[in-house]
Amino acid sequence: MMQVVRGCMERAELLAVFARTAAEVAEKEFANVLESTSISELGIDSLGMLEIIGSLERELKIQIPDESLAGILTVKDLLNAVESRQSV
Amino acid sequence: MKKGDRLAIVVPDPDEFVLSFLGAVMGGIVPVPIYPQLSFKNVETYHETVTHIANASGASMLLTTQVTKPYVEPVLPRAEALKSIVTVDELGLEDHGKIDVAIDPGDLAFLQFTSGSTSRPKGVTVTHNNLAWNSESFMIHGLEKDSSFDKGVSWLPLFHDMGLIGFVIGPLFTNIPVVFMPTASFVRNPRIWLDKIHQHRGTITYAPNFAYALVTKRVKEKDLGDLDLSCLRRAGCGAEPIQAKTLHEFAEKLRPAKFDARAFLPSYGMAEATLAITFVPAFSGVRSDTVDKAGLEQAAATPAAAGEGAATLVNCGHAFPEHEIAVVDESGRRLADRQVGQIVTRGPSISKGYYLEPELTADSFKPLAEADAGTWLYTGDLGYMLEGEVFICGRLKDMIIVRGRNFYPSDIEWVVSEMPGVRRGNVVAFSAEIDGEEQLVVTAEGMSSEAEALKAAVAQRIVADFALAPHEVVIVPQGTLPRTSSGKPQRRKTRQMYLDGTLARARSVQGTPEQTEDAGVTA
Repeated sequence: MMQVVRGCMERAELLAVFARTAAEVAEKEFANVLESTSISELGIDSLGMLEIIGSLERELKIQIPDESLAGILTVKDLLNAVESRQSV
Repeated sequence: MKKGDRLAIVVPDPDEFVLSFLGAVMGGIVPVPIYPQLSFKNVETYHETVTHIANASGASMLLTTQVTKPYVEPVLPRAEALKSIVTVDELGLEDHGKIDVAIDPGDLAFLQFTSGSTSRPKGVTVTHNNLAWNSESFMIHGLEKDSSFDKGVSWLPLFHDMGLIGFVIGPLFTNIPVVFMPTASFVRNPRIWLDKIHQHRGTITYAPNFAYALVTKRVKEKDLGDLDLSCLRRAGCGAEPIQAKTLHEFAEKLRPAKFDARAFLPSYGMAEATLAITFVPAFSGVRSDTVDKAGLEQAAATPAAAGEGAATLVNCGHAFPEHEIAVVDESGRRLADRQVGQIVTRGPSISKGYYLEPELTADSFKPLAEADAGTWLYTGDLGYMLEGEVFICGRLKDMIIVRGRNFYPSDIEWVVSEMPGVRRGNVVAFSAEIDGEEQLVVTAEGMSSEAEALKAAVAQRIVADFALAPHEVVIVPQGTLPRTSSGKPQRRKTRQMYLDGTLARARSVQGTPEQTEDAGVTA
């Protein structure tokens, strides 16, 4: 288990958490996940993405409001949404 | 707007949606619910679908919310009949006076557009009469509701028949309270569904097969804690193929939470029948029939011992009073028990047809090959009857149903076929049961040297266009997909070869002799 301190997580660490969570939900490994990678490129559909977001919310103890999900297209968009909640 | 005018509704928020829908219906206006933009999905595909629905329904106004408006605004100049896009807040500013409209039971109540696919969805006409009959059928005869204590719990989307009719209209007809939660909340955290049933002492819930599988997968035994689901007496399952294994695993997992497996209520229905066609008797749980797989291909459901060559099908129950169900052959003649054919149904719940689509309507709503000239709905589903109860074997038209959403293979095949590196017209999309869940598999003929890159590109394209992740993309060498005598790839044969592991696979491994562009071309 990774130690999570609210608001202090480095961006690179966050990316790693995302990649690990995505791999758990999709039950497959993702090589080379970058911030610029689009979610659809990973072969993850909208339900899969919501599952990933749910996992991240539980692990990081945050809540991402529905309104901020609509515009998420890339990994970067998602990490931004997570980060903005962490600093709340 | 006046009586009979169509109002497109794209309102994601459950309470605003329900109020908008009911408000329109009370004024005699015909609501046309449309699903909101899914995140991460190709925006262009969404605009095309909304434009198609607006045009096909002739909606003159589209009702939405402030937040959703930007996602539907581009449709306004593209849909001919559409004059304005209005938000629920704007509508509320004005006093619209007293509603005084006479409504006949035969009047159109709303249009429900068939879900999922990018292929032009069809608008099923639903009258007040249809709604009253179907609500009575599933609430009273199916669920055997008791208004003194029953309470529904639902996360189903409200722009879909199971959520809208099953949990808004049916319960309104019979005075049953319902606890709603957003679909996204359930998918993010499946445990919420169970928590809400526990907390509100819910007695009735409903979900497609995939949702039961998701709970089994995500909810940890140690988290069950004080969860008490002994209150739940109806756990409906429908909208996609039902797997006995999925439901058994769910029951097993939730046994410590006092879930009673007899509450499972497998059922069968579709938008063209308003909602429900068959239900099993209340509290009879999952009953299944194990038959010979090879026999099924020959249209006979012969009982067999469980094992390799056997398929286990779930009993979906019987038709409601005043309704009939039967199985017919290709010429519309009734078949005997255990003979596989197309499922047909008739009765007062069944729609009169598709809105302003006489040809499509005539294809699916027609008489049987017998003296009785009554109209039956030809469901397009394959199945067989056994002592008045129905078993569903699959789709006649190879419809792909994944997690409650319908996709036409031809739509997916067309999109993939247009991609660079794929041989045009040499793509087959089908669904297969993988680990107890229906999944999409796409096979395409392509160059072996590009196989890996092509696989990834095809998967990405499908997610982008359909918001659906394929279980697997298989690139096969040129000319290896099985074909009909006229040269079209055969879906069923391809699916069978995939499941048997006999499908040739192109691999981009160095040193492997590669198929050339023209190798193995068949007639």
